[in-house]
Formats: sequence, C-alpha cells, structure tokens
Amino acid sequence: MIDVREVEPGVWSVIDGTRSVEIRLVGDEVRVNGVPVAVDTSDPRQWSPQAARGAVAGSAQVKSPMPGKVIEVLVMAGQEVAAGQGVVVVEAMKMQNQLKSPREGRVQAIHAKQGELVNAGAVLVTIE
Amino acid sequence: MPQSGPFRKVLVANRGEIAVRVMRTLREMDIAAVAVYSDVDRSAPHVRKADEAVRIGSYLKIDGILDAAQKTGADAVHPGYGFLSENAEFAQACTTAGIKFIGPSAEAIRRMGSKTEARKVAVASGAPVVPGTDTDVRQFAQTAQYPVMLKAVAGGGGKGMRRVDREEDFESSLATASSEAAAAFGNPAIYVEKLIERPRHIEIQVIGDEHGSMIHLGERECSIQRRHQKIIEECPSPLTAIDPTLRERMGQAAVAAAQSAGYYNAGTIEFLVDQQGKFYFLEMNTRLQVEHPVTEMVTGLDLVRMQVEIAGGAKLALRQDQVEWRGSAIECRVYAEDPDQQFFPSPGRITQYAEPAGPGVRVDSGVFAGWTVPLDYDPMLAKLAVWAGTREQAAARLRRALSEYQVLGIKTNIGFFEELMGDAEFLAGELDTGFLERYFARRVERTVSEADRALAAEAWKRARKRPQAAAQPVSNWKLAGRVHD
Repeated sequence: MIDVREVEPGVWSVIDGTRSVEIRLVGDEVRVNGVPVAVDTSDPRQWSPQAARGAVAGSAQVKSPMPGKVIEVLVMAGQEVAAGQGVVVVEAMKMQNQLKSPREGRVQAIHAKQGELVNAGAVLVTIE
Repeated sequence: MPQSGPFRKVLVANRGEIAVRVMRTLREMDIAAVAVYSDVDRSAPHVRKADEAVRIGSYLKIDGILDAAQKTGADAVHPGYGFLSENAEFAQACTTAGIKFIGPSAEAIRRMGSKTEARKVAVASGAPVVPGTDTDVRQFAQTAQYPVMLKAVAGGGGKGMRRVDREEDFESSLATASSEAAAAFGNPAIYVEKLIERPRHIEIQVIGDEHGSMIHLGERECSIQRRHQKIIEECPSPLTAIDPTLRERMGQAAVAAAQSAGYYNAGTIEFLVDQQGKFYFLEMNTRLQVEHPVTEMVTGLDLVRMQVEIAGGAKLALRQDQVEWRGSAIECRVYAEDPDQQFFPSPGRITQYAEPAGPGVRVDSGVFAGWTVPLDYDPMLAKLAVWAGTREQAAARLRRALSEYQVLGIKTNIGFFEELMGDAEFLAGELDTGFLERYFARRVERTVSEADRALAAEAWKRARKRPQAAAQPVSNWKLAGRVHD
C-alpha cells in the first residue's frame, strides 16, 4: 500500500511501506528528498549528450550562458584563437565575464555586436 | 515605550538579507527601522520588516537616502555592506546632515578604502605586504614574474579583479578589469601585485570604540572562492589547529594597522597566508562583512548591536582577554546561480521556498516563495550558517541544513554546497583559494536511486494530469517512468 498526499501546493508526501519520501514538484522541476531529478517525457533512447548540448560537428560555439549585454568582442573573424582564449565579454548582473574559446581554431563568424543585449544560449562566436 | 538605546530611529541604507539582519537587531534594541527601496524591491522582506519605508531611485544615490532619513526623522544610518557602505562621501554627507553614520569616520574610510593608501598604513604599522603598485602597472608586470594579479583600486567583492598568467594576456585583462572597475565603482584605476600561489584567505574582525580602544574578534577562513568571491567562510580557520599562535599574531597586526588609521567601529583586515604560514596584509573592508555571522556564532556577540552602541558613543564593553571562541561555525552564501554553468547568475521567480531550521542553524535571508530575484542586484539570496562543537560536526550540520533548504524555480548553489560538505579535502581543512578549481576536477555529483527516479516520474505525471486535483491515497503507485538525469 502506497500513500500519496499533496500536503501543500507542490509538496507531496509519499509513504511506501514504511519508507517516507518528500517530493517537490513545480512545473518541470522535480525533487525527491531535496535532490533534483531531471524528468523527461521524451524517449530516452533518442536522447544523446551531443544533441542535448547542441554541439555542431567540426565547429565550436561560444554561447552566452545567461541574458546579458555584450561589452566587448575581443576577436575578429578569421583570427586564430587558442583554447581558453577570451573571445567575448558579456555583462550580466553587474558582473563582466570573459567567455573563452572551448578549443583552438579560427574564428569563423562573430554573431554579437558590442552593446547588444543577448539571451541565454545565444551563439556569440563560432570557432572552426 | 522607554528608549534605552542610543538612537530612536535608524535608516538602513541597504536591501536584501543584510537589511533584514540589521533590522532584527534594531528591533531587539527597541529602535525603529526605516527601509529604503527601489521599484523592483517594493515587495521585498526588508520593506515589510521595517517600521517605515521610503521609495528611492537607487541604493547608490546619497541625496535620495539622506532625504529619506530627514523625511522620517532617522537619527542614524546603517549602511550594511556593498552599495554606499564604503563610500566616504556618504559617511561625510551623513555627518554634515547631522545624521550619525554607523561605521568608521569618512576619513578612515577614505584612507583604508583605497588599496594603495591602506597598504601604506599597513606598512607603517609593521604589517607585512605583498609586492605591488598602482603607479606603473605595465612596468611592474614586465619586471615581476608572472602570474600577477590585477585589482580595482576602489573596489572589493571580486569585481575588477583578474589573474594574469602570461604577458600576452596582460593588455586584454587590464582592459576588462578596468572597465569592470569603472562600472562597479566609478573608478577605472587598477592596482597590480605579485600573485602568491595557493594562498589561504584569512581575515581578522576588528572592532573599536570612538574613545581609542580596539580589539579583534578572531579570524575567518574565507579561502573557498569563485571568481575571487567568497562562498564559504568559517571560524576558526583550520590553520589555527596547526598553528595556535596564528590568531593572536594576525589579530595584533590587524589591530595595529586599523588603529594607526584612526579607525573605529567594525572593520575587517584581510590577509593572504602562504603555504609556509606567513601572512600578508591584503586590504581592509571598512564595514560589516557578509560573513560576520560565523564570528557572532563562535564569540556569542552581536556585531550589529556593538556597531550601534559604539556609534552611540559607548565604550567597548569587552577587553581583548574577555573574548572567547567556542566551537566551530561555517557559513555558505546561497546564490541564484548555476554551479554547472560556471556559477552564472540565474535570476527569476522563486516558485517554492523552504528554509532549514533546527539546532545550531541560522538563516539570514531576504527572499520568499513568489519573489522574483531581480537582474539589477547581486544574486545572493541568503546566508546559511551553522554552529556546532567541532568543525566536523559543523560540516555535518551544514550538510543536513542544506538538505532541508528548498528553493525551486531558479538555480541555486545549495545542492553544490551539500556535495561539498562531504568532500574529503574540505573535511581535512586543506584549503586555499584554488580549492574550488581542484574540487571541480574531482567532484562527485549526488546520485538518485532508480526507485526515487521512478517516484519522481510518477509524481510528475500525476501532477500533469490533474494539476489542481486534491491528493488522495492510492494503492496502485506505479513504479514506472521514463526518466534520466
């Protein structure tokens, strides 16, 4: 016998036999005893780490990890860059962050302009 | 109501958890609290906790805050930390307006707030310092061996700070640091110094009255940092177990430096401690620190109360030999940020919120369920601090408290801290400012059992099907679900 109760909005108490578990659930966010569990309704067989990260074969993208403002573009198209070299400076929440090239290569394209507001996930620079 | 305290009404020129924390002490002292708030903070807890609240344009505008103090008849201002807390003009403007600034004199802020001036004061008082300069930044970098460190002359909190490992990175790092310093502090000036490899960051809390007495309240170990910003602080430092004289030696150096600057009220002297245990004066923070709770927990003192009393003209009620340190306290800074994305800020709406409680747990917070963490300010939500008899027990207690701390809707570093409290190197007290970088290389993420995943998937499905339905006992709890981590 398993007993499930929503004890307050979004908080579920589950008693399975004698085992007691608290589940928190808001939108797509689920936590079991406080530990986040990713729930995905899509077929896990179709999921791949590559697809999830949006990796593009043969080139690497420098993306803005959150909404912010492009303060400076540190490279030019065609320029050779080293792995870890700073390519764009993005300001978010009063903090300037130098986004670095994930690998060695040549700057294929720059998609960001100085002063531009960008969304999370926006591709700023492509390295080939 | 009888007024026993030095002030009748105090304006707290700050927001978030620190404004709430200051107001709590004011209430205990029977002093009315005035909040100031920007438009996005209209519903914030610090506004609701206050007896009066005044809308202002910005927490950085001196005129607006003084107007609010005058309008409400506040006889003192507590600046908290950040914003105007280390602004000498603000302290001076308060004094000129006949409003007591709860903190050091404008002159002391000016001297110790400038890294270069503070360094001169420290050298004069006999404190050891790290080689560096602000006059010929480029030349110093060329002659000193890399790595070097760039810092904002006017700043703190990691803003405008950059490590430079190679000469070819110097100019771009200098430009970034300088523009960040200009944006954060209105002053682009940059200071450069020799970088000490794998240092500990240990600071000393000092507090002095306006009659010339000053004592120290021991150290705080703040070596666990990301982006040069502390995220875990503790007292005692694990290093004092190895070197029991360290606290007293650093304490004396800190008091000497602060006193030679004519400093009074609460302040913190930061030191770097190298691998050989030698300490170097780094800078002074002329205000209450974010991490002051760990000092309060081991000494049993209320630093805000002491600040208010001192500003009211009281003499220190405590001699140095009366200060006692009991047990161990650890604090972590809970941020709206994503540890899996280089600790990038994660603003947004908090959909569910539950704070930990129980023995030895203290939460200084300024948020609630339904609150939208604004993009406009530092994304710290709360400080969670614990006290226990030993460091080992304190770490276990913090881990327990973190497991109770539930913030949904935005990303936070709570789960990350929970993992960290189980880390062998942390538990061994082997800390330096490179700790986090090494930690990420060996990090073991928390895992979820298959049974728990199945429960999660089922709960999710159920909530999806009947989002508003009342829950009821069921006998057919299906252990099925397509989930992945």
